[in-house]
Amino acid sequence: MIDNRIFRNALGLGALALFALVPVVLHTDLEFTTAFALALVFGLGVLSVVVLTGYAGQVSLCQATFMGISAFATGALVSHGVNYFIAAIGGTLVAFFLGVAVGIPALRLRGILLAVVTIGVAISFDYFFFQDVAFSWFNGGLGGWTVDEAHLFGLTLSSIDADHVRQIYWMILAVFFLITLLVVNLHDSGSGRRFRAIRDSELAAATMGVDLTRYKLLAFGLSAAIAGVGGSFYPLLVGKITNGPFNFVISLQLAAIAVLMGIRFIPGAFLGGLFVSVIPRVLPHLQDFLTTVLHRPIEIKNVWFNLVLGALLVLQMILYPDGVWGDLAGKVRHGILHAFPGAGKTAVGKPTKVVTT
Amino acid sequence: MTLLSVKGVGISFGGVQALKDVSLELNRGEILGLIGPNGAGKTTLFNCISGVLAPNGGAISFEEQPLNGVAPHQRAQLGIARTFQNLQLWGTMTVLENCMTPQDALRKRNILADAIRFPTAIRAEKVATERARAVLHALDLLHYSDHLAKDLSVGIQRRVEIARALCMRPKLILLDEPASGLDADETLELAALLVRVRDRFKVSMLLVDHDMSLVMRACDHIYVLDFGQLIASGRPEQVRDDPKVISAYLGEESSKPAPKKPGRKPATVKPAAESAPGKPVPEALLLEVSGLYAGYGGIEVIRDININVGFGEVVACIGANGAGKTTTLRAISGVIKPTAGKVLLDGADISRRPPEQIVRHGMVHIPQGRGLFPKLTVEETFDLSFYSGAANPDLEIAFNAFPVLKDRRRQLVGTLSGGQQQMVAMARALLVKPKLLLVDEMSQGLAPNVVQDLFERIEVFKEEGIAVLLVEQFVDSALAVADRAYVFEQGTVAHEAPADVLRQDQAVIASSYLGTASEGDVVAAATVQNGSPKVPQMMEDLSLRLPAEIKRALEERAVKEGRKTHELVLEILGSTAEREVAKK
Repeated sequence: MIDNRIFRNALGLGALALFALVPVVLHTDLEFTTAFALALVFGLGVLSVVVLTGYAGQVSLCQATFMGISAFATGALVSHGVNYFIAAIGGTLVAFFLGVAVGIPALRLRGILLAVVTIGVAISFDYFFFQDVAFSWFNGGLGGWTVDEAHLFGLTLSSIDADHVRQIYWMILAVFFLITLLVVNLHDSGSGRRFRAIRDSELAAATMGVDLTRYKLLAFGLSAAIAGVGGSFYPLLVGKITNGPFNFVISLQLAAIAVLMGIRFIPGAFLGGLFVSVIPRVLPHLQDFLTTVLHRPIEIKNVWFNLVLGALLVLQMILYPDGVWGDLAGKVRHGILHAFPGAGKTAVGKPTKVVTT
Repeated sequence: MTLLSVKGVGISFGGVQALKDVSLELNRGEILGLIGPNGAGKTTLFNCISGVLAPNGGAISFEEQPLNGVAPHQRAQLGIARTFQNLQLWGTMTVLENCMTPQDALRKRNILADAIRFPTAIRAEKVATERARAVLHALDLLHYSDHLAKDLSVGIQRRVEIARALCMRPKLILLDEPASGLDADETLELAALLVRVRDRFKVSMLLVDHDMSLVMRACDHIYVLDFGQLIASGRPEQVRDDPKVISAYLGEESSKPAPKKPGRKPATVKPAAESAPGKPVPEALLLEVSGLYAGYGGIEVIRDININVGFGEVVACIGANGAGKTTTLRAISGVIKPTAGKVLLDGADISRRPPEQIVRHGMVHIPQGRGLFPKLTVEETFDLSFYSGAANPDLEIAFNAFPVLKDRRRQLVGTLSGGQQQMVAMARALLVKPKLLLVDEMSQGLAPNVVQDLFERIEVFKEEGIAVLLVEQFVDSALAVADRAYVFEQGTVAHEAPADVLRQDQAVIASSYLGTASEGDVVAAATVQNGSPKVPQMMEDLSLRLPAEIKRALEERAVKEGRKTHELVLEILGSTAEREVAKK
């Protein structure tokens, strides 16, 4: 699997460099820097779907709820005077435990029934914990929680201008890559194999000694924690946290985008994050651009985003069942292996069967 | 030294006693076989031992430790591994990963250490890889290690499953029908492999299989189940010669053979491959099947099937369980997609068409189990057929054919008797005004007199010019109505003959159930049978219940004793029958 690992490392480092340079090269304004940072935040949300559904095979339609609960918990802790980063760790832990709790029904349920249960979780959190005044100790009431700035090792981070947000962006980027690295390691390790064994055949997994209870709950907890890390950055990045960004429709979008981009593949999470946060912000500019070019008013509504997503999903299911990344990566790798025929051979001299993370 | 002991285990499902007071012992280092006819309770017992089912009574213990209430993954940790009849490899993982996973599962690996590639995790990874490679090497699978499991052929997947089980360092491996989906050569290889694995890895095995050639070769000791009870046990050769075992497979009770039609001129039977020019294939062909191949999930079940049906002709397909008759019908009617070959219906190529279009061409498939909707009334069921191409809603056709249904037109189909349900299925097919009916196991689960009625209906269809392709276990009755018959053996057509020829030279049928017979063999068998009045009755028995495993066992014994297989069967059957009489 040497060739595979080189390909993957090159891809990872390349993406890291590219993403690190984007806000500098493009010299983006506040809006677009925030958009790119949000791409990483929601990218973590999509990554959590990759881990839970792509690796362990458990369906969940409440990943945005895990992000939300972490964001609100972080906001609540900060407004009680806790250091932002300690609060973020607290928020992530809350998400982890909620994940484990949501995983309990998964011990009995599978597929569509599990989807229904998790969507129930998403809706009840959306309508009660995230917006009902009865829970204002948690959701901060109508205005939500406001976060002005965060301090880390003498550094002050805040959402006031593009330069500050750029720092936050790099920080999230670092965290994103760290988590990606851990997830890749996990995928190739004994624990990751156990997750994948549960996905491919629960029956065989159990009879080969995999403790289903433990590993299903772990998968849910881990995935919720990854989503929680993403969510915990949100209040800092935007300056406040209210119900809007983590309603249950977002949960559906995260799942849909993960499937669209390739649910078994980490780069799909990147693409997914970009898709969900940057595209809606590009649309108004596209509207302006088209209006200027065509000399007549063109209207592009944000609602169209969901329409486009739906249409793409339908197309992808028919054309690229393994997701945009799943099929793209296959083609790219195929091209590389053809260009350097020696790279694709393993020690035994047989063509390598490609397993992508 | 006892490794696994089963004492007085019983289990019942909804009042049916699936296992009754079953006890067995498995010694260390032994390969134990568990055999029995279909529905004998083999799989149920297997599931009790592997922990999928919990028995109602009795005790199962492993190394003196009771297994009651021990979860499957804990049984694995005790040293019990298993393989699956319907392969359960982790398809999207490589063969190497498949073999590493059971080791990961047994070692308490820390998820955090795994994620940060802590030295302990790297070491564990190395150990698991080495063990997996060693096992794969021993099973000659090393060059598959980077292949995804789902891409491998069934034979290789079976071996990988055994390798995966071995990677757990088990003390006992439970093998659930490891020979299913394998051809004769692969089965022999598997038998040798199992013995080699036992000697090399010092494991014991419990083997459940239909395939007698595997069980006889691989096992040290065999237990035989029938109707949920142990009826025999012993060394392979003892079991093979045990009349109780053979009669369990052949079945003691039987239905009455159908009345014979006045005999026509006997003709010689030729193997299908070298069919003589003068064979009675009608000139105008309604259905022409040539070179048809099909199977399920990569397992090829039928090979090179060539079948013809003329206009208004009744053709029967007969042969042992698993010979590929039902699969052939399903491939013809488009229920499953054939992998190769051509199906021409009235000159039109329908081999790649979806089933709903095929129906419109005038061919209707009445599946095994009838394919009815239990919650619809008789009338609603008929109405549905108008969606599948019946032109005008003339229910009278159906009610004329089966008057008894007219009174029950508002009754739910699920509440009808089995025979009436079969009538509904046939009547529904008639409404589409078919040119050809494919009827699969029409008589399944029905009383003999009901079956007789249905066969009479087939005669009426024939008079009305509807051709019928029958798959039937009641060979005699089927041959009584059929014009011609195809004899299926191991997934292909072995013989083809006019029905009355087959009825008279039933040795051909016997040979299809007892092994591929040369022509001389057939003649010899026919001579033996002509002297015995019991023959037709026995043939019906044979065709009903004789599975491939007993057939092979008998063949082996016949070769050993230098006698004809058919003689042997007649002798055993005869002696059992005589004993029965003597008892009374």
